[in-house]
Amino acid sequence: MTIRFLPTAARGLVSVAGLAGRPVRNPAGAEIGRVVDVVARWDGAPYPPVTGVLARVGRRRAFVPAEALSGLDAEGVDLSSARLSLTDFERRDGELLLLADVVDHQMVDVDGVRVIRASDLYLARVGAGWRLVGVDVGLQTLARRLGPARWRGRPTPGRVIDWSAIQPFGGPGPIRLRRTNQELHRLRPAELADLLEDLGRRERDALLGALGPETAADALEEMDAAELGVLLRETPAADAAPLVAEMEPDEAAEALRSLNEEDRSGILAAMPAGDAERLRELLAHPEGTAGGLMTTVLVTAGADETVAGVRERLRGEVEHREEIDAVLVVDDDGRLVDDVSVFELLLAAPDTRLGDLVAPPWPVVVDAGAPVEDVVEGLIDNRRSSVVVVDGLRRPIGRILADDVVDALVPGRGRRHFPRLLS
Amino acid sequence: MSAAAPEVRRRRNRLLVLLGIFGPGLIAANAGNDAGGILTYASAGSQFAYRTLFVMVLVTVGLVVVQEMAARLGAHTGEGLVSLIREQFPLRVAAFAVAALVVANLGLVVSEFAGIGAAMEIFGISRYLSVPLAAVGIWAAVVFGSYRYVERVFLLLSLVFVAYPVAAVLGHPDWATVARQTAWPHFTAEHGFVLLVVALIGTTITPYMQLYQAASVADRGAGPADLRTIRIDAVAGAIFADLVSMCIIIATAAALGGHGPLASAQDAARALRPAAGSAASGLFAVGLLGASALAAAVVPLSTAYALAEAVGVERSVSRRFSEAPLFLGLFTVQVAVGGLVALVPGNLVALLVDMQVLNGAVAPIFLGFILVLANRRSVLGEAANGPRFRIVAAVCVAAVAGMALLVLLQTVGAWTGLAS
Repeated sequence: MTIRFLPTAARGLVSVAGLAGRPVRNPAGAEIGRVVDVVARWDGAPYPPVTGVLARVGRRRAFVPAEALSGLDAEGVDLSSARLSLTDFERRDGELLLLADVVDHQMVDVDGVRVIRASDLYLARVGAGWRLVGVDVGLQTLARRLGPARWRGRPTPGRVIDWSAIQPFGGPGPIRLRRTNQELHRLRPAELADLLEDLGRRERDALLGALGPETAADALEEMDAAELGVLLRETPAADAAPLVAEMEPDEAAEALRSLNEEDRSGILAAMPAGDAERLRELLAHPEGTAGGLMTTVLVTAGADETVAGVRERLRGEVEHREEIDAVLVVDDDGRLVDDVSVFELLLAAPDTRLGDLVAPPWPVVVDAGAPVEDVVEGLIDNRRSSVVVVDGLRRPIGRILADDVVDALVPGRGRRHFPRLLS
Repeated sequence: MSAAAPEVRRRRNRLLVLLGIFGPGLIAANAGNDAGGILTYASAGSQFAYRTLFVMVLVTVGLVVVQEMAARLGAHTGEGLVSLIREQFPLRVAAFAVAALVVANLGLVVSEFAGIGAAMEIFGISRYLSVPLAAVGIWAAVVFGSYRYVERVFLLLSLVFVAYPVAAVLGHPDWATVARQTAWPHFTAEHGFVLLVVALIGTTITPYMQLYQAASVADRGAGPADLRTIRIDAVAGAIFADLVSMCIIIATAAALGGHGPLASAQDAARALRPAAGSAASGLFAVGLLGASALAAAVVPLSTAYALAEAVGVERSVSRRFSEAPLFLGLFTVQVAVGGLVALVPGNLVALLVDMQVLNGAVAPIFLGFILVLANRRSVLGEAANGPRFRIVAAVCVAAVAGMALLVLLQTVGAWTGLAS
């Protein structure tokens, strides 16, 4: 949510960007150093407490813990005691250097589901200490920071986002998020995909790691094909493999197809053997054919199985719920007899034999080598939500869902990158 | 529709394969051979014959070093140069870098429109007609979204300039002089020469090229593991681009070396005669038009994108450029300024070369930022510049800065000299 503070409330806010270079004063009011950075502890809680200030005293950098501060405002920092022990700063777990790691860096606004870059951060006095309460994303704030020194510390809370909705990244080197904003886990896969596309590489890797392979794989399935290809190319094979293994096989195969041979085999080699084998089979079918589009996640049943039994098996396939819209009825030789929709199964009495549900309309079938146009035609003629891919002996080997065909037909909604020749 | 989609995709894949061979480094470095580049190299050949060839060798070393650093930054961070600058420097310092970039790019836009005017003058069409029409046309094509197709046509037109290496050979240059002037270190502090050297630096080492290099490496998902390939590509691209540039100098020097500064694009076209005969000036005009029009759209867009990156809204711009009013405005202003300045009466070729001098004067600022970023272990880790590379790169940047300073001092000296 965007909070529009009243002007009076703005007076209680301290601009972090404005604190840089401000004096650190002893109780007598004499300047003993200058503010270098503000340190806050991020542990997933809504408003991170300020744990101290990093100051330059003489030629040394010293850490002043929050307990030793008696005042903190736009004019600078006041110490509560004349004695200052100069301790070297060592980043503790979860600590963010607000100026070095957060201001001017990317972060996720979980409420607005977008990637933002902080123009400024605001602190407010809460109880005995100071807490990080908001992120400023306004353009005029940038202008203010470019202006004369006396403007810099003046809060201009035009467009401020409450910190409780923020997932920061931060820290040098590869970022490992120890805590994540819990709201992040409530986003839909497509929303996460948008965020992943917008984040820089370091931040994106951190977010993927924090989401866990299953949620991350769902998000990857929703990503633009070109963006996903880039992501897989720049992620080390050992990290990419578990994600690809968690993806639906048809989506995973499509993603792998966009990679070069070396990257592709690297990822496949780092994957559990079963998953890799299934993907290799899919990859053997050329792109643009039915085989290249299909998923191999199928539920098949004999004519003698009961509806109750099939339902029980479907319960075990719940992770593939988006790929399964029907159950294939096959004869003793594994040849396709009919395609019974999940809807029919829902209405049928539990003890009904599947054989009794076999009736027209008959399923649309194509062979693995059929071009996409044939698949489209089949879907249009029969108004079904999927077509079944069969081998030469009419045994089902895969299924193509209408939404996969849509993806294949719609040209990539590629974003505009850095303007260039040959875009 | 259903039949077209896979076909489009297949075609795109083929293009990607092609781009894999002609990597980002090649395209980035060759973006230097635009309208400004061609006329600057031609000016060098015309005014000083083969004497600038040795300078081009030094400029090539600089280009190789800089493009390699830009590629390394792109591969290691996966970020554009401008967003790296925003994250790594205080806001005011970052704003200075962006301002330098905007000035350099605006100079380029002016020179592209001057290039369009010069090309059309060869066909006998007044620039007071051609430049406004081109500005409106390019603006409309970008804003209404059909530019992608127009771009291909311009690119095709600009391929005309492959005729230069042929012309350089067929023009029977004095190869002994070429060899001596290339290998033998020499320099004069003559104002005209220094000015042209800065123009050569400015047109060969353009901030736009470094931005492009880093962005395209990052976009491709090339990571630290691909560093070797990326380096080879960046270095080879820079060397290839400068070989083409040197061919332009040689061909022009053979045709009209020593005749003083280039008076018009028509003169420059004479260098293509050994390869194209009587069609030379028509061919030259077509190529100049293509190269100029191509860059006249790409450069202002890249400025707008760089500003978006600096402000932190690059992703929203990348989704729907025409819906971002600020950036549409920036693009419009640049095209308008570029077109208007190109209409100021005077010699178009001289204006074009002046703009390259401006680029050369601003270049050291941006190069300094790249050098600092590539030196930082906090940015590049193990891939940061080593001690020896640091010295080489610093010397390159210092040399470019020194030349810019020299030209500035000479210019100021000339003014005060006139005043007294």
